[in-house]
Amino acid sequence: MPNSRFLSRWLVAAVTGGALLAGAVQAQAKPPECIAPAKPGGGYDLTCRLAANGLQDAKLIDEPMMVSYMPGGIGAVAYNHVTGVRDDDPNLIVAASTGAALNLALGKFGLEHKVDDVRWLGALGVDYGAIVVRKDAPWNNLDELMKALKQDPSGVVIGAGGTVGSQDWMKAALMAKADDVDPRKLRYVSFEGGGEALAALLGEHIQVFTGDLAELKPQLDSGEIRILAALSEERMGGPYADIPTAKEQGYDVEWPIWRGYYMGPNVSDEAYQQWADRLRELNDTESFKALREGRGLFPMSKFGDDFHQYVKQQVADFQQLSKEVGLTK
Amino acid sequence: MRLAADRILSLLLLGLAAFIAVQAWQLQVPFSYDPVGPKAFPLLLSGLLAVLAIVLFIRPGASGQWPSGALLLRLVITMAVLGIYAALFINLGYLVTTALVSIVIAWLFGATPMKAIIGGLLLALGSYLLFTYGLGISLPTGSWIEPLLGSN
Amino acid sequence: MFDFLIQGFGVALTPLNLGLAFLGALLGTLFGALPGIGPINGIAILMPLAYTLGLPAESALILLAGIYTGSEYGGRMSSILLNVPGDAGAVMTTLDGHPLAKKGLAGPALGLSAVSSFIGATIAIVGLTLFAPLLAVVAVKFGPAEFFALMIFAFASMSAMMGKDPIKTLIGAVLGVLISTVGVDSGTGVLRFTFDMPELYDGIDFVVMIIGLFAVSEILLMLEHAFRHDQEGEMAPIGRVMVKMSEVLYCKWAILRSSVIGFVIGVLPGTGASVASAVAYTTEKRISDHDNSFGTGNMRGLAAPEAANNASAAGSFVPMLTLGIPGSGTTAILLGALMLYNINPGPMMFREQPVVVGGLIASLYIGNVMLLLLNLPLAGVFARVLQVPRWLLVPSVAILAFVGVYQLHSDLMAIYLMLVIGVFGYLLRKFGFSLAPVVLGFVLGGLMEENLRRALSISGGDVGILFQSGLSIGLWIAAALVVLVPMFAGKLKAKFLPAAKPS
Repeated sequence: MPNSRFLSRWLVAAVTGGALLAGAVQAQAKPPECIAPAKPGGGYDLTCRLAANGLQDAKLIDEPMMVSYMPGGIGAVAYNHVTGVRDDDPNLIVAASTGAALNLALGKFGLEHKVDDVRWLGALGVDYGAIVVRKDAPWNNLDELMKALKQDPSGVVIGAGGTVGSQDWMKAALMAKADDVDPRKLRYVSFEGGGEALAALLGEHIQVFTGDLAELKPQLDSGEIRILAALSEERMGGPYADIPTAKEQGYDVEWPIWRGYYMGPNVSDEAYQQWADRLRELNDTESFKALREGRGLFPMSKFGDDFHQYVKQQVADFQQLSKEVGLTK
Repeated sequence: MRLAADRILSLLLLGLAAFIAVQAWQLQVPFSYDPVGPKAFPLLLSGLLAVLAIVLFIRPGASGQWPSGALLLRLVITMAVLGIYAALFINLGYLVTTALVSIVIAWLFGATPMKAIIGGLLLALGSYLLFTYGLGISLPTGSWIEPLLGSN
Repeated sequence: MFDFLIQGFGVALTPLNLGLAFLGALLGTLFGALPGIGPINGIAILMPLAYTLGLPAESALILLAGIYTGSEYGGRMSSILLNVPGDAGAVMTTLDGHPLAKKGLAGPALGLSAVSSFIGATIAIVGLTLFAPLLAVVAVKFGPAEFFALMIFAFASMSAMMGKDPIKTLIGAVLGVLISTVGVDSGTGVLRFTFDMPELYDGIDFVVMIIGLFAVSEILLMLEHAFRHDQEGEMAPIGRVMVKMSEVLYCKWAILRSSVIGFVIGVLPGTGASVASAVAYTTEKRISDHDNSFGTGNMRGLAAPEAANNASAAGSFVPMLTLGIPGSGTTAILLGALMLYNINPGPMMFREQPVVVGGLIASLYIGNVMLLLLNLPLAGVFARVLQVPRWLLVPSVAILAFVGVYQLHSDLMAIYLMLVIGVFGYLLRKFGFSLAPVVLGFVLGGLMEENLRRALSISGGDVGILFQSGLSIGLWIAAALVVLVPMFAGKLKAKFLPAAKPS
C-alpha cells in the first residue's frame, strides 16, 4: 500500500516538526524546577507557572523552569520528598500556599513534620477570602447575614470547595466564631473545588459561598453574585473598591491566601539567598505586575527569612485557631 | 479441584469485608455536617460484599485454568522484573532500566537473545526520543550520570 | 447573533491558526493514544510551550483545544488495539472495540470509532454554538440531589451489563466503589483506608487504577497465552482496513442517541467523559442489543461510547465558557491557561472576548474535520500495531504504563501501587470478572456517596430533598424503569412465547 507508506512518512515528518518545537523549550542538564504538589491544572500548578513564566520573562533564569507534578496527600507527598529525598537540591522550589500551612498546623502532613523542616522562600502574591451570596439574596450586608446566622445557625446553607478543616471551612468557622456561633452548628456543605461550589451557589443549592476574592471577578462583573465581605486587612483597589472588609463591618476575621514556595532543608544559605533575591527582584518588575494581576493576585512582599518567620507564626496561629473552633484538642 | 477457585475467592472476600468493617468502625470523626458521615458507606459496602461472597460460596462457577509450574514462575519473574524496573527507574535512569527490562521481557516472550537485545535497545532509545523530544515529557536521566556530566 | 462565530472563523482560518489546530489534533491523537497520558497531561505539557512561543490567546487556546479533542480521538486506539484504555473516557471502548480487533477487524473498528467520534463531537459543538447560554442555566440546576439520582440511574443502567455472571458483576462493582472510598473523606476530612501512607490521602488516582487494572494485567495474560499457545490470545489476521458505509448506517441511531447523552452529561459540571461513555454504552445495550452480542464485538457497542465521550468533551466547554466553571478536569486546565493570558472566562466572555470565544468554537469545528481526515486513513496504519510481534509489543506496553504513571506523579509509590493493582486486576480476570464494572463502580461510587452526603447536609438530614425537583424525580423513574422493564418484559415473553429460550 504505497498510500499508507506515504502517510506514515508524512506522519514522521509532522512528528519531527512537533519534536523540534517541543525540543526548543526542552532544557539541557538540570534546569531550575518547580514542583506543584498536585495534579496539573490546580492552584499549585498556576503558582509554579507564575514563577516559571515570570522569571523567564524577566530573564532572571538562564533556562526555562520545568514544572513537575507530585500529587498526593494534599501536598504531603511533595513535603516528604523534599525533606527526605531532594533535601539539598539548589535548583528546586516547591509551590505552597496558606493551605499548606494549615495542613501543617493540623498535623495532616504527618505529626513528625514541622514547619521548620523546610526553608520557606517567599510569596509572589496573595488572594483574600470572600463571603459571597447570589444577587437576589435576602441579605444586603454582612451584618444582616450574621444576624440570621446568630438566630438560627443551621438556617443558612453555606458551601465551599473544601472539607471540614480546610481553608474554605476555616473561613466559615471563623465568621461564625466572630459572632459567638458554634461552628459545629452551621449547615456546611463541602464540594470538590471552588468551581463546583460556585455552580451550586448559582443553581440555588447553597446560599452562601466562602470563596476567594480574585477568583470571583467574572461573576462579579456580570452582576450574578454579591460579595458581602472581603476577608482582607483593608479594602482592595480596582474592581473590588466597593467591597467592604469584614473588619469594617465589625467582624474581626481575615483570611489571606498567599501563593509562595519553599526549598529543601539542607539547601545552602547561598542558594537560598539567591532564590530569595530572584523572587524579590521579580516582584518589582513591570512585566510581572501584569502577570500577577492576570492571575488575579494582589501583591505580597515577603521573602527569605522574613517569609520563613511569617509562615512559622501563621502555623502557630492556626494551631491555636483549630483548638478554638474545636477541630483539634 | 472441585472445591472451586470461587469458594476460595469467597472466603477471601469475606475476610476483606470483615477487615473493611473493622477499619471503618474505628474511624474517628471529630464532627460531621451530614447525618451519613464517613463510616456508613464503607460499612454498607462491606455488608453487601459479605452477602455476595456467601452467595458465591453457595453457587460457585467453573474454576478456570490456573497457572502452575513453569508458567507461574514466568509470571512471578515478570512481576519481579517490573518491580525492579520501578525500584531502579529513577536512580539508574530511564534509558538503562528500560533497555534492560525490555530485553528481559522480550526474552521471556520467546525472542531469541539477539532479537531481544537489539529490540530492547532500539525500544529504549526510540521511546526516549519520542517522549522527551516529541512530546516534551521529562524522564529521569539517572543519578549516576550527573557526576559524569560534571554539573553541580 | 452569530457574529462572534463569523469573526471566529476569520480568526481560525488564518494559516498560523490552521497549522496550530492541525498540530494540536495530531499531538492530541498521540497523547490520547498513549495509555495514561491523556488530555490533562498533554495540555499541561504544551501550555508552557504555547506561552514560550508567545502565541496570542486565541491561537494558544486553539492549540490546546485541538489537543483536548484530539486526545478523545486517540484514547480509543489503545482500547481497541491493546485492550488498554488510553484515557478515562475510553474504558467502555475496550468492551467491544478489542473483541473486534481480535476478529481481525481492527481497521474497521478504528474507522467506525473515528466516524462516531466525529459525529458525536460535531453534534455537541453545534449544541454548544446554539444553546450554550441556555444550557448553562439548566446545568447549574443540577445540584447534589440531582447528581445522586443520576448516579442511581447510572448504576441501574449497569444492570444491563450483568450478563452471564450477575454475582461477579455485582462483586466487581462493590470492589470498585470500595476503592473509591480510599483517601480523605470529602465531607469531614477524615482519612479512610490510607494506612498512614500520604500517597493514599488523595485517593487512588484514576490513571494509576486504569493502567494497573488493564495494562499490567494484560501483560500477564499475554504471557500466559503465549506460553500455552492458546486460541484466546490469538489475533485473527488483519482483514480489510476501511469501515463500510453499511456499518456506519447500522450504528446511526446508536451514534445519534449517544451523542446527545454524551453532550448532556458533558455539560453538567463535575461529570465527564467516563460517566458519559458508561451511560451511553449501557443505554445502547438496553435499546439495541437484541442478540446479547454486546461485549463480543458489536459495532454499536463500540460506536456508542466513542460518540459519547467526544460529545462530552465538547459539552464540557459550555459551563466553562458561559459560567467560568470547569465542566471537567481538562477544561479546568484550559481555564488556567486562559488566566495566564489575562482572560477570565465567565458570563461576560461572549461579550468581552468575542474573538477568543468565536475563534475557539470555530477551531473546534475545523479541528474536528481535521481529526476525521487524519484518523480515517491512519486507522490502517495503526491497525498494524497488531502485527508487531508480541515480544516487542509487551515491553512497549510496560514502558507506556511506567511513563504514564511516572509523568503524572514523579513518585515511585504510584508505580508500585500500579503494579499491585495490576496483580489484583490479573486475579480478577482469572476469576472470571469483567473489569468494566470495577471501573464503573470506582467512578460512579465516589460521586454517588459525595452527592448523597452533600444533599443531606443541605437539607439537614431530611431525605425528602432527594425527591424534590422534577429533574431528580424523572431520573428516579428512569432508574426504576431501566431495572423493572426488562424483568417485566422477560416475564411477558415467557408467558406469551413459552417456546422462547429463557435467558
